[in-house]
Amino acid sequence: MPISSLLAIAPLLPASISPGSLTGELIGIAEYAIAIAMVIIVFDYVFGWLERKVVAKIQKRHGPTYAGKYGLLQNMADILKLMSKQHVAPANSDRPMFLATLPAMLALTLFLVMLIPFSPTFSGSSSGFVLLIVLVLVSFMPLVIFMNGFASGNKFSAISAERSVVMLLSYEIPLVLVVATTAALTGSYSLNGIVGAQSQLWYVVLMPIGFVIFFIAMLAELERPPFDMREADSELIAGWLTDVSPPYYMLALFLDYSRMLLGSMLIAILFFGGWNGPVLPPIVWLLIKVFAIAFFIMIVRVTMVRMRIDRLLRFGWLILLPLAFVNLIVTYVLLIG
Amino acid sequence: MNTRINIGPVHPSTHGVLRLVADIDGDTVLNVEPHIGFLHRGVEKLVENRMYMQSPTYMEKLDYAAPMSYDELYVATVEKAMGVEIKERAQWVRVVLLELQRIASHLLWLGTTANDLGQFFTLFMWTMKDRDIILRLLERASGARMFYMNMRIGGLVQDLPPGFGESAQEVLDYLEKRVKKYEAYLERNPVFVGRTRGVGILNREDAISLGVTGPVLRASGVDYDTRKYNAYYVYGKLSFRPQTRSEGDVFARYKVRMLEMGESIRLVREALDRMPDGDAVGMPVRLITPGAKNREARASRETPRGEGIMYMIADPQKPYRLAIRSPTFVNLAALQHIAKDCRMADVFAILGSLDIVMGDADK
Amino acid sequence: MKTERKELLDSLRGLYSKGYTYLVKIYAIDYVKTLNAIYVVRNLEEMKEEALEVELDPADAWVPSVMRIYKAADWYEREMQEMFAIVIRDRDAERLLLEKWNGTAAPLRKNFAWSEPYEKMG
Repeated sequence: MPISSLLAIAPLLPASISPGSLTGELIGIAEYAIAIAMVIIVFDYVFGWLERKVVAKIQKRHGPTYAGKYGLLQNMADILKLMSKQHVAPANSDRPMFLATLPAMLALTLFLVMLIPFSPTFSGSSSGFVLLIVLVLVSFMPLVIFMNGFASGNKFSAISAERSVVMLLSYEIPLVLVVATTAALTGSYSLNGIVGAQSQLWYVVLMPIGFVIFFIAMLAELERPPFDMREADSELIAGWLTDVSPPYYMLALFLDYSRMLLGSMLIAILFFGGWNGPVLPPIVWLLIKVFAIAFFIMIVRVTMVRMRIDRLLRFGWLILLPLAFVNLIVTYVLLIG
Repeated sequence: MNTRINIGPVHPSTHGVLRLVADIDGDTVLNVEPHIGFLHRGVEKLVENRMYMQSPTYMEKLDYAAPMSYDELYVATVEKAMGVEIKERAQWVRVVLLELQRIASHLLWLGTTANDLGQFFTLFMWTMKDRDIILRLLERASGARMFYMNMRIGGLVQDLPPGFGESAQEVLDYLEKRVKKYEAYLERNPVFVGRTRGVGILNREDAISLGVTGPVLRASGVDYDTRKYNAYYVYGKLSFRPQTRSEGDVFARYKVRMLEMGESIRLVREALDRMPDGDAVGMPVRLITPGAKNREARASRETPRGEGIMYMIADPQKPYRLAIRSPTFVNLAALQHIAKDCRMADVFAILGSLDIVMGDADK
Repeated sequence: MKTERKELLDSLRGLYSKGYTYLVKIYAIDYVKTLNAIYVVRNLEEMKEEALEVELDPADAWVPSVMRIYKAADWYEREMQEMFAIVIRDRDAERLLLEKWNGTAAPLRKNFAWSEPYEKMG
């Protein structure tokens, strides 16, 4: 399978380079990666600002107001501040691993967003198995957090790393089951196919249980409250980010919002018909849905109390998993079989 | 594999004044030992070298979440030593102010505990706003927002300003609604109930032998409230019931404080209605010469955190010795026994439920 | 109620069996000639309080630990040892509570040179 089938970039290729050659493919992939990186940075910035404002509104505060109109430049000021600070790696950390994991996770997220289509024309991959690849890579992330937590040599980070693996056990299987049901309903692991199948009726209507399970599992995946046990600031200081110094912490913030973009896009595509919608162009519809879902995730963040890790495990195995099976069986019996 | 970790003094939940040394096994905490003294100022020694009315300012800084209650406790001890009668109206005004202070302190506790349970500052912001309304009310009564210095021997520095009663009633109506709202918001949240119910259980026998006080003691089913059994001021005339629960877990301690807020609101309303007219201003500072009548004095008050007691040996100019029994000190000592073999997250739920103010514990 | 040091444990046990199960406070007063340790206990059923006062010689100040009777005595005893240099016997040698002096200074005693710089305090 040529790389271009995974990342279909033919429309973006310069005409002088033949689409078949490896050089051409690599240049095309690089172009698409840069484009997506830009998109991600813009999204991170807007999400960061939006979250501050939404949280402030619910908490009866004003949020940032001083820097720029409506505090829009506040994040820029914060980025400058974080960038201008000294970078330190703790003496007893596993230095290469500690320094490599955060950029690696950012690159992973970038690659994942590259795989997900924004619209029929603005998409990176034409492969029929994109959803599977996305799933595998998404579930790889807690392991990278695990590595970072142990590499930093801090005891709080080590606890956070252990929690990361426990969480992975609790929500990953229901998540995979729901995704498998979605794929079975469509008959394809291609995201374009799943969106196409929802042109009449969204999957959230067809399998509401599946959506709830997927949303909860996604909250856990994104380390969003009430499932932020990995970062748990009132218990573990900052979890696996405890010893991370400011420039790297900026990367962690970017990572946080990039993953929020990723999660919102997956939810929008799998359950809310992706870019389907009247009048407006497809990409606008997707953005509207992504922002609505991100907004909802932010509201959940401010209103929930953090769950305890052993309760999450019990919740995952005793409630989410049986419900995921129910969802699978009901969907098979009523809709497929 | 056992690991020993330092929780604090630099930690978001202990904010620089408390250090917990915990032995953990994975995510399970086997043993927690509090190390205190980061805020120790030697108040008991300072007081011995100052004249009587120079000391209330130190007393207020002991419990900075409820300064009025400590101010009043100290002044009451000096009053006992002098053997003076407190003016009738001043007694009613003190009850009103102390109960308002209790509501403010409990609101602060509610917000910070929600933070300890992992909420992102939402309840904290809401309760701080509500607390601010009470602080504004107390500012009208005393002239200061936080450290009031409002108590004088035999009465107060000044009587309540005109119109205080009406605005206090308005505030109480508002607060009653808010407290109900918080209660509904938290108790309908299964995650909150799951995090608190059955966590950090302290049974009746242990609660007594560990000597815990206040809401922590009452949540373990002991019906002890100084306001009832000591019935100082006009608490005997008011229809007051101590709030108790029998479960002894974090949820029970939360519930006791929520019920106490409702009880305080009722008490303030009743006291404002039945308050007699008259003079409430205390005696000038230059007339203060304790020790002539009673050399030894003892006063005990129900502060928001529990029963605070002061034992004083009074000399004519300065106190010879002032021993303070601070409620946080005993409640925090019990942490070691409550937080055994629990989850990491439970330690902070329990710590929050004890309502610690380190200035109070360290003295 | 005054009592002797050697009778302290017995009198406290007697009070405990009479329902005085709640330890309110342990504190000390330095009367220069004597050093008095005071144990305040309370009967929660009948709402009565008793205070046991033990006179000690300041040069040889020690009391037996009452932790086996009242668990709450732990921190009070440590505080008293730290602030008055009253040695608590029959209990594990534990770290002190508040300032972690090296044990010889007694800040709340009347002869404490509190105007001296911190380094000389002992």
